Amino acid sequence: MLISDIKSRPVYERLSLDGAGRRHLVLSDAPRPLGEVIDGTDGADAPLGYWIVAATSAVDAQPQAEAAPGNAAPVEWRAFRAASHLLDRLSHRLAQETVGLRLYAIGEEGFIWDVARMAREAGLEPSECFTAHAGSLRRKVFCVHCKTVTSGVTTSIAVCEGCGAHLVVRDHFSRMHAAFMGVQADAEAPGELPPVEEVFP
Amino acid sequence: MTIQFKPDETFRDEFRYANSDAAVLRFPFPFPEDAYMYSVNIEPHVPGGATPAFDNPFDVDEHYVAECRERARVLEQDPSRCKVLPHMMAAQWDTLELIMESLATSYPAHFTLTREGISWTWENRPLGIRDSFTFGDASTLPLPPFEYITRQAQGDFTLQDQRDDNLFIDAGMVTTQADWSLDFDVGMSFHQWHGPVPLAHQKGVFDRALKFLLRLQYGAPVRRLNWTMTVNPRLDTSPENYPQWGPDRTTLTAENIGQKLHLRVELQSLFRLPRSNAILFGIRCYLCSIEDLARVELWGKRLHRVLRDLHPEIADYKGTTRFREMAVAYLAPFDDGADLPVGTAPRQDTLPPTALPLGR
Repeated sequence: MLISDIKSRPVYERLSLDGAGRRHLVLSDAPRPLGEVIDGTDGADAPLGYWIVAATSAVDAQPQAEAAPGNAAPVEWRAFRAASHLLDRLSHRLAQETVGLRLYAIGEEGFIWDVARMAREAGLEPSECFTAHAGSLRRKVFCVHCKTVTSGVTTSIAVCEGCGAHLVVRDHFSRMHAAFMGVQADAEAPGELPPVEEVFP
Repeated sequence: MTIQFKPDETFRDEFRYANSDAAVLRFPFPFPEDAYMYSVNIEPHVPGGATPAFDNPFDVDEHYVAECRERARVLEQDPSRCKVLPHMMAAQWDTLELIMESLATSYPAHFTLTREGISWTWENRPLGIRDSFTFGDASTLPLPPFEYITRQAQGDFTLQDQRDDNLFIDAGMVTTQADWSLDFDVGMSFHQWHGPVPLAHQKGVFDRALKFLLRLQYGAPVRRLNWTMTVNPRLDTSPENYPQWGPDRTTLTAENIGQKLHLRVELQSLFRLPRSNAILFGIRCYLCSIEDLARVELWGKRLHRVLRDLHPEIADYKGTTRFREMAVAYLAPFDDGADLPVGTAPRQDTLPPTALPLGR
């Protein structure tokens, strides 16, 4: 049932600092060493921010300067309580930004395409926002019937949180919705469902 | 030429829909050969072809009034079937101009466009519309220009913006579609929105088609045919309403398949637009029952062979899995296995009351 090998599915490359940027902001949906998520920070002289999701209320998102490798300027580091917390702060930052910002997002697909959508809405060009996948393969699924997005889907069939339909999770991905398409699995013969498989661990 | 419209037709519920003999004979039958495989199959969209369906830039037929009414019903239920991204305003006006000019030229008995500078008056007599407006000023029309004019045309339309050596589907009016969602696909690049189509990517069909379309010239539109099969004469086979129409596929029997199963053909046309440099993509949908198609001897035989020998992945993608064998069995008695000429013209001027079994 799972239709695979669909070309709308994003293909990711490892992140690398864009030398043309005048300010860089790297966003990660989990604590990861900076050197692990992006290349080229050693010689960077443009200001660099690194925001991570710590997934705990114990952090407060205060900026902290952290020594950078090589001769580069210090990195401005912040830890956020949740992805929503980070995205809320990001929307303020993007509203104040001017030409020259380069945005980099790494994490699960739901997170990185939420970032890409905010960047697009803020007026960044596709060549100014970079994404890379890390962590779980679980998906956000857009129900084509009721338009509800169901998050954290790890199985080939998922129950829509909006209309309750059993959705086949197709490999068809919309950057606009930051989600994969879900289509009712048993629309032709109600109740006739294929076995559910764990496919997006 | 005056067209006799059939305003009481419906494409849902009781399905009050039929093709006159003339409408059957003008059907854009899509199979020039006995076997079908994906190809780019693009040709110049110039007047003239195998049937009169190819005579005009935008074909209007006896179903026009009923199809416009069906579109209005779908939009009432789901306005997201018409989407236009904000940067597409120039392309909206390009579309309005092209469709109005074409309809007024092709069907002067039904449509009139009067232009005095930017003061335009549009008369659509079949739908009882008469509006005067200022070209370029959207506030002078009752609806945004793209929605206004595509509510008055048969078939779906999308607008492709051209940038970064690619095409992006940045607007559309999609209410008579073969199972794809504009709301989900809007904003996608050429390869992204064609993502779900099997086999064709590997054959390089989309790479070649994109290269070709990026060079499409103003004044030199092109066309191609695509097809699928639909149970009942239902125009709105959208993924959005799949729970409503999906069960139709289980209602076919050997007795009713001739009347209920329809060949669905899309006459797809592509126009470069002058101001926006966008491409207008028209997807004009035709429905004909296989019982009526078999009244044209060449078409009945050929459809039998195409369905019988269809590549399994294509058969699956086109949603024919549940009923293909039954359709082949229905058509088999009309096929004597004789060699058929290449081409799609019906090669007959009248239709017998019912298809004639030939027997081997």
